[in-house]
Amino acid sequence: MSAIEISGLTKEYGDLTAVDDLDLTVDDGEVFGFLGPNGAGKSTTINMLLDFTRPTAGSATVLGYDAQAESDSISPRVGVLPEGFDIYPRLSGRRHIEFAAKTKAADDDPEAILRRVGLSADDADRPAGDYSKGMRQRLATGMALVGDPDLLIMDEPSTGLDPHGIREMQDLVRSEAERGTTVFFSSHILEHVEAVCDRVGVLNEGRLVAVDTIDGLREEIGGGATMTLTLADGTAEAREVAGSVPGVTEVTASGRTLECTITDPAAKAEVVTALAGAGTTIEDVRIEEVSLESLFTALTNGDEADAAGDAEGIGAGGPETETEVAR
Amino acid sequence: MSSHIPIVARKEFDDAGRSKLLWSLIGLLVGLVVIGYTAIWYTVDDVTAAEALSFVGTPLQVIIPIAALIAGYMAVVGERRSGSIKLLLGLPPNRTDIVFGKLLGRTAVVGLAVGLAFLVSLVLGAVFFGSVPFVDWLGFAAVSVLFGTTFVGLAVGVSAGVATRGKSMAIVVGLYMVFVALWELLTAGPYYLIYDEGPPVEPETWYLVLDQFNPIFAYTNLANTIVEGSIFPFQFQYGLQSTEAYGLTPAERYPGDAPFYLQDWFGVVVLLFWLVVPVAIGYYRFQRADL
Repeated sequence: MSAIEISGLTKEYGDLTAVDDLDLTVDDGEVFGFLGPNGAGKSTTINMLLDFTRPTAGSATVLGYDAQAESDSISPRVGVLPEGFDIYPRLSGRRHIEFAAKTKAADDDPEAILRRVGLSADDADRPAGDYSKGMRQRLATGMALVGDPDLLIMDEPSTGLDPHGIREMQDLVRSEAERGTTVFFSSHILEHVEAVCDRVGVLNEGRLVAVDTIDGLREEIGGGATMTLTLADGTAEAREVAGSVPGVTEVTASGRTLECTITDPAAKAEVVTALAGAGTTIEDVRIEEVSLESLFTALTNGDEADAAGDAEGIGAGGPETETEVAR
Repeated sequence: MSSHIPIVARKEFDDAGRSKLLWSLIGLLVGLVVIGYTAIWYTVDDVTAAEALSFVGTPLQVIIPIAALIAGYMAVVGERRSGSIKLLLGLPPNRTDIVFGKLLGRTAVVGLAVGLAFLVSLVLGAVFFGSVPFVDWLGFAAVSVLFGTTFVGLAVGVSAGVATRGKSMAIVVGLYMVFVALWELLTAGPYYLIYDEGPPVEPETWYLVLDQFNPIFAYTNLANTIVEGSIFPFQFQYGLQSTEAYGLTPAERYPGDAPFYLQDWFGVVVLLFWLVVPVAIGYYRFQRADL
């Protein structure tokens, strides 16, 4: 059985199509990352899965139940971390967890749940209105974990978390996945998804532009990289040698630096061997891989104009690069 | 299945118990009774506890609706705007549980405030004026709790049916104004246009039926049948109907034996009407809303 099955799901707000004829299947037990820039329709999709919002057309099932007609059968088995939620400011953190446990008829120990999401006993006694944004996120995550759900649906779980908190969130997703929980979560930042997901779907302007494993996406990029070599002396001859290696598409030289554009990963070693064979002394080699980020950028390029300068990593112009120093 | 109503109601009550709102409502109602009783005891000689009871009816008909409307008008829409409703709906409670759980929880809050005020009146009545007519007292308290429930229902219904806090407040304030300030214009006004004269003491029957649908009239009519003395309904008067008619119950204004729908007890139906209809409309709209 698939945990989530979406077919032809569409949501229109007047003239605006927020989600456009979406088809997607999330398998039981997998960790699925739902990626896309802000405004791509991720939250609208999730809101339809949770029956917060009603689709204009199409349908979805969650754990085999119709998301609209049978939502009462879904909610006891699902843990939800919604987007744009708020806590009850006057109730303590512990009371929130106890409330969640009561609605799910679960016998979880509130202390254990609070510890799992990194809230101390002192925090648990305070009214949640005093919590920081990150702590609220943790509390809501705790409420989602109550009752050991079969499926976790998390909308932008890293919102408000610092890098340390994001790592903890990733660990939590991993440990839930190990317990057999299916995790479906959205993010507009690829690196938050990359580390934990089995598969990702990329949404742009309401349409699904890619669904693949992280490895599959990497393959799609190929071994594309830029190799920068610093040589001991002149580059005129070296440029010709490097350019003749198969898999090298372009070589530019400036001063003692050679920049080779590589399409076949194996060509990197061959360039080094060829240059050494030609008697050139190589002082340093740097390889910059074309990252997943750049693919993400390319896939969601349509939003570039609107999103310019909006989010780091996505809004920027050309392909982002990731630097690796070769050994 | 809507088995989570009590859990939601309980949370509402807990939440309200930590809010200043509940305590200021209780303070207001209890303070009113204390001040009223003390003032009567000081200034009027020869007052019985039963008469004192009817004196507090006058301010209660103003304070209870305001308190109940304040307690209820943000119930659903407030959570919708803040986003906590998503946390709640992400858990097993569904929209039905939310509307009725909130109605129950907020009714309990207002009921508690009204109940405490009446308890204080029982004690003060005994201390200041000797024996308290217990049955009258109980009946008046019950009608007052129902009156409070009606306005909680009205407010919760409105809060479920709209998407913004401002709309909820506007509708709730507007309705209160209709009951207190515009009722005569809206009922006696058309009468005047149709018959070229304002409603006399014994007007057409349809007018009596329509006029009594003001929940504040329903409350004072009911209270008047229970306690001694008379509680005049508080409202703006435009002089459209004959002055003798103000403060008379529909049954008193009907020539001969009043039909059941004009008898005093029919006020209970009126109060239930203003409880059920807004909740039904709000519930219907909330069920279909995109959050």
